[in-house]
Amino acid sequence: MTFDPKAATKEPPKKVVFRVKRYNPETGKTWWDEYEVETYRGMTVLDALLKIKEELDHTLVLRYSCRMGVCGSCGMIINGMPRLACQTQVAEVASEARPVVTVEPLKNHPVVRDLLTDFTAFFDKHRSVKPYTIRKNKEELETGDMEFLMTPEEHSELYEYTLCIACGLCYSACPVAASDERFLGPQALTYVWRYVADPRDEAWQERLEAVDTEEGPFSCHFAASCSAVCPKMVDPAAAIQRLRSALIKYRMGLYKKKKIARKAEPPKEFKERKPLPPEAKLVEGADLEALEKEPPEIPVDSLLS
Amino acid sequence: MGEERVKARALENRPGWIASINPWVLKIKNNPERVAFVLHRVTGVLMALIIMAHIFVTGTPARVGWEAWVEEISKAHGITAVTLYFFFFAGIAWFHGLNGIRLILTEFFGVCIGKPEKPKPPYLAPSLKACQRRLLYLVFALWAVLWVLTGYIVFG
Amino acid sequence: MPRKSVIQTWFQYVTGILLIFLLTWHLLVRVPWLRGVESFADTLAPELVYHEITAYGVLLLIFAYAALLHGFNGLKNVLLEWTSGRYKGLITAIIVILFFIFAGLATYTVVGVKPLG
Repeated sequence: MTFDPKAATKEPPKKVVFRVKRYNPETGKTWWDEYEVETYRGMTVLDALLKIKEELDHTLVLRYSCRMGVCGSCGMIINGMPRLACQTQVAEVASEARPVVTVEPLKNHPVVRDLLTDFTAFFDKHRSVKPYTIRKNKEELETGDMEFLMTPEEHSELYEYTLCIACGLCYSACPVAASDERFLGPQALTYVWRYVADPRDEAWQERLEAVDTEEGPFSCHFAASCSAVCPKMVDPAAAIQRLRSALIKYRMGLYKKKKIARKAEPPKEFKERKPLPPEAKLVEGADLEALEKEPPEIPVDSLLS
Repeated sequence: MGEERVKARALENRPGWIASINPWVLKIKNNPERVAFVLHRVTGVLMALIIMAHIFVTGTPARVGWEAWVEEISKAHGITAVTLYFFFFAGIAWFHGLNGIRLILTEFFGVCIGKPEKPKPPYLAPSLKACQRRLLYLVFALWAVLWVLTGYIVFG
Repeated sequence: MPRKSVIQTWFQYVTGILLIFLLTWHLLVRVPWLRGVESFADTLAPELVYHEITAYGVLLLIFAYAALLHGFNGLKNVLLEWTSGRYKGLITAIIVILFFIFAGLATYTVVGVKPLG
């Protein structure tokens, strides 16, 4: 998902109407509710929903935790696009011309109530691909007395895929998962490629053979919606194409797995920890309360350049 | 006696097959690949159906004889059901074929999807700015040009 | 049951690569100025079509089989996806029967073509 670093500096419309899709699991009824919320600069959609819950409607149900785009709990469809509510500024999705934000639960996940979705099947698929390093010699992992060295090039091949927070946005955006409940989905398949590409993993053949089914990468048709909505720039679409291509090459006997080059022995002696440099400490005489009242302008342009 | 507790049930929230024919089930920004996916699927299913009619019709000289064939092609002048059939069949074949080249490159050979990179603003996934995206725009442009050219040949 | 990767490689990607060339040829033979005739309808004249069927019969048959394999396998995948794999046996059986019917018809079109009167 493209992220506008200046979005938090923009002023949203003073009042924004939130159209929220509700669901009652006891009656089986679905309906839309509208709430008018007073906004402020820097307000996220999650902030607005929590304000609705606190001040307007206590019955609104949603899931959230970290509020800073790390836990992946608050995925929902905002103005028709799967997003993390905590990472979406109201100023990004509402304008003076159209001060309305629609919020729906994630598609392709069963809805428990209102905006709360059930991730059981999603996590079952995640677990089914064994998302952990497998070594033939299990002691290597258990004793932890060595580390596996990777070159920066090898690391950059898979680093992007390790950033996944399992927020389920890609699965919600996938048009194949929309009809085929067997499909493993972008998240689980990205994890398969993340470990197949990892030179430290030794179960790559088993992994490739396990996904050589109708639920695997061949059900993907490269709509790339997963990559377009991913809040962590994981790029599941590319991972699945690489996995599929590797699987075809593997069956033709052309795929070569990069093996771990070296194992490093643990350091024999530990160095003393250095004290923090002076610039890491709080500036002397800084008035935190004054700064809170009048926050300084964020020099976004100079930070980005 | 208290009220009997109603059994709660989760709502199945999959759009189903409609997501295969409507790219705007979700309004995802910067995602023309989804439009291409829908077009590829629609043209593919249509071609699989039309190909049966095509094989049946082109079998006329063997099944019936050349007289029937001559009678059939006498309707291939101007805007008729026969020329419209050729025009639309060729049109959907152009898109499916051109986009198919792009998909063979990305799906089969695993190329044109960019290199993995470290996230940096504006956090755009590498596959969305790789050469497959430029190829996609080329597919749309060539499709339009070739379809117009097909119309010129068939109706001209 | 063959593996999914094997089915997709041969029925979808290899046929797909073949079809790119064969479809281009199949569409180009209907272009009047490449055949030295005046209009699109003239490219369908019995003499030209008979020559096409007799001289390039094998190529036409490879094209028909590749298109049917590619198309019906694609259709099967779409139907299985829409039904989440339910009725897999029924869908596969219908697709296989359809393939043999139309592959037979295509073969007869080339093999059984009547000479021009």
